[in-house]
Amino acid sequence: MTAARYLTMENTWRRIDTGARTVGVAERAALGTSARVAAWPAHRLDRVLAVVDTELALLDRQASRFRPDSEISAACRGADGAQGGGSRIVSEGLAEAIAVALAAARWTGGLVDPTVGGALCSLGYDRDFAAIRSDGAMPRAPSQVPGWQSVRLDGRRLRLAAGTWLDLGATAKGLGADRAAREAAAAVPAGGVLVSLGGDIAVAGEAPVGGWPVLVADEPEPTGQLPAGGGRPARFPPPSPRQVVRLATGALATSSILCRQWRRGGRTLHHIVDPRTGRPAAGPWRTVSVAAANCAEANTASTAAIIAGDQAPAWLAAQGVPARLVARDGSVRLVGGWPAIHEGLLEPPETGRMPAGPGPVAGPGGRAGPAAVVDRPSPPGATRRLAGRTPPGPRRSPGGRRWR
Amino acid sequence: MDRDDAERPGWVRLPGYDDDTGYQRDAGPWRGAASPRAGGVRRLRRASNWTAAALIAGVAAATGYFVHHAPPAAPTVTTVTGTAPGTGSTAGPGKPTLSSPVATSTGSGVVVTTGPGGVKTYHYRGDN
Repeated sequence: MTAARYLTMENTWRRIDTGARTVGVAERAALGTSARVAAWPAHRLDRVLAVVDTELALLDRQASRFRPDSEISAACRGADGAQGGGSRIVSEGLAEAIAVALAAARWTGGLVDPTVGGALCSLGYDRDFAAIRSDGAMPRAPSQVPGWQSVRLDGRRLRLAAGTWLDLGATAKGLGADRAAREAAAAVPAGGVLVSLGGDIAVAGEAPVGGWPVLVADEPEPTGQLPAGGGRPARFPPPSPRQVVRLATGALATSSILCRQWRRGGRTLHHIVDPRTGRPAAGPWRTVSVAAANCAEANTASTAAIIAGDQAPAWLAAQGVPARLVARDGSVRLVGGWPAIHEGLLEPPETGRMPAGPGPVAGPGGRAGPAAVVDRPSPPGATRRLAGRTPPGPRRSPGGRRWR
Repeated sequence: MDRDDAERPGWVRLPGYDDDTGYQRDAGPWRGAASPRAGGVRRLRRASNWTAAALIAGVAAATGYFVHHAPPAAPTVTTVTGTAPGTGSTAGPGKPTLSSPVATSTGSGVVVTTGPGGVKTYHYRGDN
């Protein structure tokens, strides 16, 4: 592996030559990772990129916990600027992002919890990944995760308990891909788009013949080329086969513990935190890819599977979402109709699986607000739902609506 | 205008033409013997009924066969729609065909793409 293979990504789009003249592809850095957009017809790419830029900028200002001027950072800091807590009105866009995160928590029985922000910070992931300190002491005790039930979202009114730091990492990029793809598709009424944010992929409009070909990879960050301070895997994991699949509708997301690793106290940590322990998940799966009706849901399911461990295959199958799980030894397990053949067509469910909130409510100015999620204390035993039961309620995507 | 029952040269009326017991009233087999004319008309009508019934049955059978067994005249058009409602719902001409991946789904934080020539490229956020 040589340094020449690594590209310096900037915040401006760079055209990618894929050899297909009828499809335009470009990529740039965004949201702490890379963004890649493919669109056809190719001459519409500039317009598509402009739409995607708008969506990514909005999401970054709304939901990035690494930007001190973002809306979510301000909400978590609270009025006193330190410990947070209290109530405030947030934008419709952030309200939607939080509503999706809470729906993800409800769907997964709390395994994907947006209140793990404090735990991530205590582990050292308290800034943009590229700027993480090279090493440091491991916290003596795991940070307590407040739990998603402590978050109250009523329309646009958000109430947080003091000390609650939200991290929407498991859903926000997926939501951003959904938003961008949906809006960009309007710019190519006779074509189609694919939007990938760090490997979380949403498609909209017309797919190419046979679907968009996507490489599903389970690869560690290459040694010697990690971002400063990122550290390197303790040992190179055994390789797993790669696979090209085709995606015509819906979305595809992959979560992995092989990337975004850093070291603390001589240990290698990763970014997928088990809210039950406040520590990085230690299950049998190192990489999970899931296809779903939308990208927020796909990323939720793939993250939940990493945390759920042995229960993951049964839960994924019960949800009817195609999934590909790579074990720590590199073996691959397919569930939910994931194609076994190379270049097989992914067939995600047509409708979302995540439970929506009680429904839209009238927002200011008579405009309907985002799905109101008024989370009340759950009865005993209502959480840890990851045994395969799906909560009742309409099966539509909480991210199916779009708000600013 | 000639009446169809008018006398014509060379035509011979069948017996019973002027009989009050015409076939329409009492020429059924349940009424005993019928006149030769009535019998001829009856045979003709029976033949027509059987012919019509056979035609109807034949057409129905043929229609059913073709409905269930004939291949479609054109390949089924697969409608591919994405997450955007109301955008491009039908497959149109000119859709591209891609032979190599345009994106990679892997863990967040690193994107691996394979370009022409099989050159693998890692794309990082943060190294700019």
